[in-house]
Amino acid sequence: MAKKTFSNTYIFIYSAALVVVAALILTVVSVSLKPLQQKNQAAETKQMILKTIGVEATRDNADALYAQHITEQDGYYAFSGGIVLPLRGTGLWGPIWGYLALDGSSTVVGAIFDHKGETPGLGGEISSEKFAQQFIGKKMDTQPIALRKNADRDNAYEVDAISGGTMTSNGVTDMLESAYNDYQSLPRPTSQTSPTEEERKEATE
Amino acid sequence: MKNFDLIKLPFNKNNPITVQVLGVCSCLAVTAQLKPAVVMSLSVIVVVVLANLIVSLLRNTIPPRIRIIVQLVVVSTLVVLVDQVLKAYVYDVSKQLSVFVGLIITNCIVMGRLEAFAMVQKPWSSFLDGIGNGLGYSVILIALGFTRELFGSGTLWGYPVMERLGLYNIGYENNGLMIMPPMALILTGLIIWWQRSRNKDLQES
Repeated sequence: MAKKTFSNTYIFIYSAALVVVAALILTVVSVSLKPLQQKNQAAETKQMILKTIGVEATRDNADALYAQHITEQDGYYAFSGGIVLPLRGTGLWGPIWGYLALDGSSTVVGAIFDHKGETPGLGGEISSEKFAQQFIGKKMDTQPIALRKNADRDNAYEVDAISGGTMTSNGVTDMLESAYNDYQSLPRPTSQTSPTEEERKEATE
Repeated sequence: MKNFDLIKLPFNKNNPITVQVLGVCSCLAVTAQLKPAVVMSLSVIVVVVLANLIVSLLRNTIPPRIRIIVQLVVVSTLVVLVDQVLKAYVYDVSKQLSVFVGLIITNCIVMGRLEAFAMVQKPWSSFLDGIGNGLGYSVILIALGFTRELFGSGTLWGYPVMERLGLYNIGYENNGLMIMPPMALILTGLIIWWQRSRNKDLQES
């Protein structure tokens, strides 16, 4: 037995067979479970968007509630009180994303964040309720919201960053900034704010 | 070795973290809070038990020259398989687990037990060895997660313990060092010190 397992032919056949079997199992499982997984992911996105406008949905009733409350527009989602901005960015280890619900005066009424693989307990904290709650009442009108150390609670443009999660926090700040730039180019639901310096610059360009 | 010893020894004289000094990387990474520490513990128990069992069944056919690669294929197939199934049927659990998948595959305890035990022992003993080492790992992880979350964030499983006790009002502050990885290493060192001082067998002359 021992002799046989040392021969090169045996090693080649063994490793080839092992890899083929493993690949086969994974492919069959992945292909057969894909529809279920995609359904779960789609429902989760709808749940997240609904949550920012204060509607708690379960995975089963997310479709119905979404159809009832949200109208999808080009680059954003409209609801009765304003719009929901999608956020996309990169954290330390992988993609991070979120949704920000803004009312007519660009004040945040709801926020939610999630991540693919940030460190649990540190950068991973962006997906917590506590972190998202900080955004409520902040503003996206004349400048983007940024994450800072020891942020001033009364300042409408900053929220507390995560201790031990600096790289992820910087990623969130960048993500908010790029969402802010997109937001500037969107048609405003109501024009309560006067055009900002940046907007004027954009208009003249 | 008696079967009961296979379960009992990893708790003390043969603990995978404090005596074998394996799996330290994940032990630093996921113990900033209690919850991820528990999720990681459960995942590692499942993986180390199943991988031990499979490798032990295959042990006489595995070519010694490529045994590490064979072990790696078994472990990673197993982890990805479990994650795929969870993603389709228990999506929330899979979300909790997603960040750990990479950490489980490369966990030295899994590889260490396969190499040191399952390659040369019968399936039933390997199964018990997997349970023992998985639990031994969990004990340390949970102890670290408990200490670091309590003193670093002032919470336990997300519940604000220190705030409820009213300690912030009398000047108490969270220890920011606790949530940084170096503190996990220091705490692990303290546990090793304490364990060796009590156990003559572990002292090197």
